[in-house]
Amino acid sequence: MTRDLFPGALEMMILQTLKRQPLHGYALVQHIQRMSNDLLQVEEGSLYPALQRMLKTRLVTARWRQSSTGRRVRIYEITPAGVAHLHREVSSFERMLDGIRLVLSPVKP
Amino acid sequence: MIGWVRDLFLRRRLEQDLAEEIRQHLDEKTDALVAGGIAREDAALAARRAFGNVTQMEEKGREVWRFLAIEDVFADVRFALRQLRKSPAFALAGTLTLALGIGANTTVFSVVNAVILRPLPYPESDRLVSVKSRDIRGTPHPADLSYPTFFDFRAENTVFEHIVSYRDAEFTLNGTEQPLHLRGQIVSWDLFPMLHVQPALGRGFLPDEEAAAERVVILSHELWRGRFGGDPAMVGSALMIDGQPHTVVGVSPPHFEFPITPDSAQLWTTVAKDAASGPVMPATKQRGARMLNAMARLKPGVSFERAQAQMDTIAASLAARYPDSSKNQPGTYVRPEIDHLVGDARWPLFILLGAVGLVLAVACANIANLLLAHTEERAHEFTVRAAIGAGRGRIVRQFITESLTLSAIGCAAGLAVATFSIRLFRALPVPRASEAVIDGRVLAFSLALAVVTSVLFGFVPALRAGSIEFSGGLKDGSRTSTPGSDRLRQGLCVAQVALGLVLVSGAGLLIGSFLHLVRRDLGFRPEGLLTFSVNLPSKEYAGPKQLDFHARLLDQLRNLPGVTSSALAMPLPLTGSQMSVAFNIQQRPAPPAERPRANMAIVTPGFFRTLGVPVLEGRDFVERDDATGAPVVIVNRAFADRFFPGEKVLGKRIEPGASDASGTKMREIVGVVGNARQSSLKMEEEPIHYFAYRQLPWCCPSIVVRSAIEPASLEPALRGAVASLDKQLPIYDVRTADDMLARGVAGPRFQMLLLGSFAGIALLLTAIGLYGVLASSVVTRTREMGVRMALGATRQHVLAIVLKRAMLLLLVGISIGVVGAFAGNQLLSTMLYGVAPHNPMLVAAACVVLTITAAAAAYLPARRAASIDPIRALRAE
Repeated sequence: MTRDLFPGALEMMILQTLKRQPLHGYALVQHIQRMSNDLLQVEEGSLYPALQRMLKTRLVTARWRQSSTGRRVRIYEITPAGVAHLHREVSSFERMLDGIRLVLSPVKP
Repeated sequence: MIGWVRDLFLRRRLEQDLAEEIRQHLDEKTDALVAGGIAREDAALAARRAFGNVTQMEEKGREVWRFLAIEDVFADVRFALRQLRKSPAFALAGTLTLALGIGANTTVFSVVNAVILRPLPYPESDRLVSVKSRDIRGTPHPADLSYPTFFDFRAENTVFEHIVSYRDAEFTLNGTEQPLHLRGQIVSWDLFPMLHVQPALGRGFLPDEEAAAERVVILSHELWRGRFGGDPAMVGSALMIDGQPHTVVGVSPPHFEFPITPDSAQLWTTVAKDAASGPVMPATKQRGARMLNAMARLKPGVSFERAQAQMDTIAASLAARYPDSSKNQPGTYVRPEIDHLVGDARWPLFILLGAVGLVLAVACANIANLLLAHTEERAHEFTVRAAIGAGRGRIVRQFITESLTLSAIGCAAGLAVATFSIRLFRALPVPRASEAVIDGRVLAFSLALAVVTSVLFGFVPALRAGSIEFSGGLKDGSRTSTPGSDRLRQGLCVAQVALGLVLVSGAGLLIGSFLHLVRRDLGFRPEGLLTFSVNLPSKEYAGPKQLDFHARLLDQLRNLPGVTSSALAMPLPLTGSQMSVAFNIQQRPAPPAERPRANMAIVTPGFFRTLGVPVLEGRDFVERDDATGAPVVIVNRAFADRFFPGEKVLGKRIEPGASDASGTKMREIVGVVGNARQSSLKMEEEPIHYFAYRQLPWCCPSIVVRSAIEPASLEPALRGAVASLDKQLPIYDVRTADDMLARGVAGPRFQMLLLGSFAGIALLLTAIGLYGVLASSVVTRTREMGVRMALGATRQHVLAIVLKRAMLLLLVGISIGVVGAFAGNQLLSTMLYGVAPHNPMLVAAACVVLTITAAAAAYLPARRAASIDPIRALRAE
């Protein structure tokens, strides 16, 4: 969403969000921005190529629904494969983060 | 792949979903912003801004689903076709140019393929060699073999599985209602084993069947089918050939040809025929009678070099053993048979292939030019495409796809052209040319050409398209024609002019040479002459009977309406066949190997009158010049000048090697005649000495008739005259002298026509290219011209500007082309008659032709420039 996101970060956030509840694209963007306290300034459109990629690799499924506001929306849902993928990605991300943290933390006397 | 096809249908759905989803997203965002108190228009804009580039996102989303490479190519091709439809003039010009270029190349290549590249139609044909003597008189050259020499080659060599002699012979088939003339070959017994070919029926010859008493034949499959209804019982039966029964021992496989010539042999018989011939001594015993070709098959593991070395050793030893007859042939030429077969045809074919390649290069320059102009026109489009997210690579790729598409269409059209034009080439007087077809190799060649050409003409414009100044292109009305592009187009023009000059001067040289050839003084009057041959069976027409038959035939012919005179001759002039014999001069005798040689001919009284050859000194032959009369000979001017320079020739005596039953004789020269051509191609006058037929009654002279009416219409009467003497004699090779002349010069004529038309095409393309460049420069410089005229330049000035530009292109092109022309003409030297390859006049003429072409091409653009209305030109911007 911002240029500084590393590859795969957007997917991870989308899958994590969808794991809680199925959502449509606009709601997904809103949710991610809200959850990051607007720290991640996003180009909203870039969500969609990512969603298409995940549709193709069957990490998510999508179907058209009528929303509560009467709008026709496309709801994305995470698949079991998506959940497994998320777990793998998150654990590898956390290991990476730990590594970075160790390097960055002040040297203990 | 199936999944991909399914995806194709699915994807339309997916793309629609994505577009709908994005629209909903923007709506929802806008609604949310409006709800937050922002005006709707501002909200919509803000929603878009937050979303980013909608098109790009859609494109990226679509790309996820794409089976990438193939799809893009399809899309590009579709787009390319749409582009071509949009500019039909460009598409038509491009396709036609390519169709011509690729079609001509494919045609010439198909001939090269048939004649040179395809192997001979025998198993393991790369092991087949031709064997010739090396004659060291003058520059060493290949010579035919005599029977004794051939037999020694056969007995003494250890390098060949088989070596086979063969020579043309004419046969008459009797015993059916109509006598039939057959073309045949007299061959060694092991012809079929040597070729590794099995007869389709019966067997090949046996070694014993070379003995003089044997009479066996093998029929060609085609003769067997056509004449004998394919009757298997033919094998073992007897046929009356030349008045003698011959046993049919076999039938060749279908389409079998030996040797490979346009007039394929219809039957084969053994050397028994020659072993039984001859008034004095059979041909098989005459070491000096060189009339045989020889083909051999190398033993496994034997190299050409080893075969050559051994044959040279044998030839050298023969030269030592038989100095009188073989001293001048102390070596051999052992060459791959295919080289021997293709021989002289190879070089002209390669020249033509090169020339037609140059035509294609000119065509490519033209299309590149068109494409460049097209690119400039489309600069706007490319700028737009770049602005909405197309990468530079994508644009270049699109461009290359367009060139390839054009090439593919041109190639298809070119193949269509080739299927027609190949038919014309099949008549080429070259062995195997009649077999030219579009086979896999030719197809591959033209496809490769299509790819190469599209790279040639598409590469430069593609780079140009990729480097267009994108920011500039959108500003409407701005001229995007850049100096760089102009220089490129001018460079292409210069190249065209240079290539055109090479082709035109080459064609000019061949035209000049051909004119020399046909305008050459033949030394006789060919119009109204008709010739034909009758083969007399040697058994029934032995000795006096043969002379008697011919005397009665000539009488009959003289009495035919329309015939003014008739005579016999062997060989006939212009047929290219020659008989050459050595002779001893009485006042300067020499040992046999050092005696001079000259062509000879045997004629009857009235021959010179019939042909229209003037008797310059002395007399013509008369009827009294027969076996009882004093031995005489008549020589031509060239003979007199060569062997008796500055002397009085009449009354001189020579002893020619040509002999009748009573041996050679010292003969008195009783006449000198004009130089009549024996060969249809040679430029120099050849010395010939003529014998009276009654003093040298060899079999069988041809008949030549001078007619006061259309000569071809005489044919039925001639057949009738022969039939009235003997119903069993067929006449054959009925030809007018004009026919023979046309046949003789068919090769050079064809080369001239081809190179001429290639040059013509190249000129046309060059003119179009030049026109295009000048015209577009006039358009792009309209404003400049307007300003110049507004500032006082006259129309002449403006005209001069355009013409100066044309002149500059022309001059640079010509100065490069002249160098190329001299180099190119050198390659033609072996194809020329009476013209030097370095003929500055012809090159100058070619320059003039190009200048005229350029002037024609420059005329319209120059006139348009001169007619520019300064006011309108300035307002237009």
